[in-house]
Amino acid sequence: MAPPKDKPKLLKDGKRLDGRGMGDLRPLKITAHVLNEANGSAYVEWGKNKVIAGVYGPKECIPKHDQSPYRAILKCRYTMAPFSGAEEHGRSGPNRRSTELSKVIREVFENVVIAEAYPKTAIEIYIEVLQSDGGTRCAAITAAAVALADAGIPMKDLVAAVAVGKVEGRMAADLSKDEDNFGESDMPLAIAPRNGDVLLFQMDGMLTKQEMQEGFDLAYAGIEQVKRIQADALRKVYEEGGKDVVSLKM
Amino acid sequence: MVVLNEIQREIVRRALREGRRLDGRKMDEYREIAIQKRPSDNADGSALVRLGKSQVLAGVKFDLATPYADRPTEGVFSTSAELLPIASPLFEVGPPREDAIELARIVDRGIRSAEVIDVNSFFVEEGKVLALYLDLYVLDYDGNLIDCAALAGMAALLGAKRPKVENSKIVRGEFTGPLGITEKVVTCTFAKYEEGILLDPKLDEERGMDARLTIATMPGKVCATQKGGWGAFSRKQVEELIDVSLAKGEDLRRLL
Amino acid sequence: MANIVLPGQLISEKEERMGYTFVENGKTYATVPSIQNDDGRLVPLRGPYEPLEEDMVVGFVSDVRFAGYTVNINTAYGAFISSRDTRDKFALGDIVSAKVREVTEVKELTLTDAMSLKGGSLIKFSPVKIPRLIGKKNSMVTMIKDATGCDIFIGRNGFVWLSDKGDVSLAKRAVQKVDAEAHIPGLTDRVAAFLKENKKQ
Repeated sequence: MAPPKDKPKLLKDGKRLDGRGMGDLRPLKITAHVLNEANGSAYVEWGKNKVIAGVYGPKECIPKHDQSPYRAILKCRYTMAPFSGAEEHGRSGPNRRSTELSKVIREVFENVVIAEAYPKTAIEIYIEVLQSDGGTRCAAITAAAVALADAGIPMKDLVAAVAVGKVEGRMAADLSKDEDNFGESDMPLAIAPRNGDVLLFQMDGMLTKQEMQEGFDLAYAGIEQVKRIQADALRKVYEEGGKDVVSLKM
Repeated sequence: MVVLNEIQREIVRRALREGRRLDGRKMDEYREIAIQKRPSDNADGSALVRLGKSQVLAGVKFDLATPYADRPTEGVFSTSAELLPIASPLFEVGPPREDAIELARIVDRGIRSAEVIDVNSFFVEEGKVLALYLDLYVLDYDGNLIDCAALAGMAALLGAKRPKVENSKIVRGEFTGPLGITEKVVTCTFAKYEEGILLDPKLDEERGMDARLTIATMPGKVCATQKGGWGAFSRKQVEELIDVSLAKGEDLRRLL
Repeated sequence: MANIVLPGQLISEKEERMGYTFVENGKTYATVPSIQNDDGRLVPLRGPYEPLEEDMVVGFVSDVRFAGYTVNINTAYGAFISSRDTRDKFALGDIVSAKVREVTEVKELTLTDAMSLKGGSLIKFSPVKIPRLIGKKNSMVTMIKDATGCDIFIGRNGFVWLSDKGDVSLAKRAVQKVDAEAHIPGLTDRVAAFLKENKKQ
């Protein structure tokens, strides 16, 4: 077990180490429709996070006993590439953390996907973290929403996600990896922008109610930016016309 | 497109009898290849290769490991591949299937036989060596993952950097220089039909093929081969394909 | 550029009965990326095939049984031809065209008027853009057939059959062009120009 790193100072003159203000998001780039086989796909670069999401469906639901006669079953798998972290080589495949995230991410989309439109089928969401740097679950949800829209899966809203938290006594939006590791609290949120519904809500650390409310304010403001970038990504696919072969560009 | 293998076979064979491939390519022609170098910052080396519509991301990561008992001063080199479900409706969630394991081992064999990685330089101290993990992450499947993954793996290795080791630990984010690959190894994969042998089969050509042959080459030499599938090749065919692989291999090497 | 609407976007302050929308609290919102026409209706840019009775579909026989044939039309739901409904006999793998006779509540299809399409090949096409490939009174598909001499059969489900005769490669590229550019105005002229430029003499 490696000895703990020295805790770095996270704020300097009221600004964060990377120069951001407390409410600023890291640079966010989204490209939709980057894979040829998947029905829908999206690639997100958020800070140094690189996440790709792909969607298949509606398709026949196998095994049959998973089927519902009333609606499509959503399946979601979130995993991280073994070379995605800054530290050692990871193991392939799911682990406890990725299993939990697969579940809570699926539950986000259960709220917005109009699953009754496709009874007895399955809609599958695959999210691969190719590079991680704090806030991967929010990048994952943001990517998956665009991938679902790219696949033409009917939804009530385009979900966006951002993590807020407490950094040296102050609330901040879109925590970096160091801020997440060394800050006092981390609170990822996924929100349906249309009506403001909270679809993912996790936190760790310690916060007063007032701090949480400050966090919510930052999150809702941040979501407005995220959703604009998601919308631009989807519109761009159509403005440029289709291509027979698409490429992922990282 | 998910078509029964038998139907796909007939469609391909009909075209071959007329002397053509479904997409109009020549029998020994590769699809368009695009290589993106170093797409990943956290990996010690990486490359993203698109071969037609197939896309594979290769990542290189170093760790420290215990050497093999019979080779105590030699480093470890290990390759693994994942046929991710995102890549195709044909790939299911679950533990690595035989196809994934075979893919990793074929790519590994070519690189290992050609001795392009100097594993003797990976010795750190007694009981500790550098381990190089090469992961082939298949993101998009439209046939011939072997050549796509081999190119991605080789490109990732060519651009990889050796990590700094201090006090018997890797200092992440600091490097001593390039990994130092001595030669470029590439593979050429062929699909056999009674009516002809095709280089770089697309998915619709792969699904109905009689047999598959992969030949890994370095300049002037063959360093690994793998025959897959139920059918057989004649000796004459094998020798012809060796010639094609050595020639086409040079074209591929120029792309790296 | 046409007005592209996205899931969750407000379409109307009133309750409208329109495809590709949902109603909440008396207001209407879009559900998939679509283009909003001048008449307010939404034309989806993406999405699976939504079967309707009387649709012509194209697929291939994926199962042969005493009672009938299962046809793969590339949807999540099965499509079935009853043996009693056809005098022809089909083999596993045959490409067939058929009419949708019935769509059940759970979106299973019964097909009728099945016909075998001999030889040729199938290509995939976005189901939501099929109307553009057909064109007003078949104008688009007829233009491609005439220019290439290739027979084309269009399935509403997004499978397009091209015969073996004529300039198959040009026909295929023209069809792919429609798929790529269906939503961009001026398509008919562009396809006509494309066919003229590339027509083999």
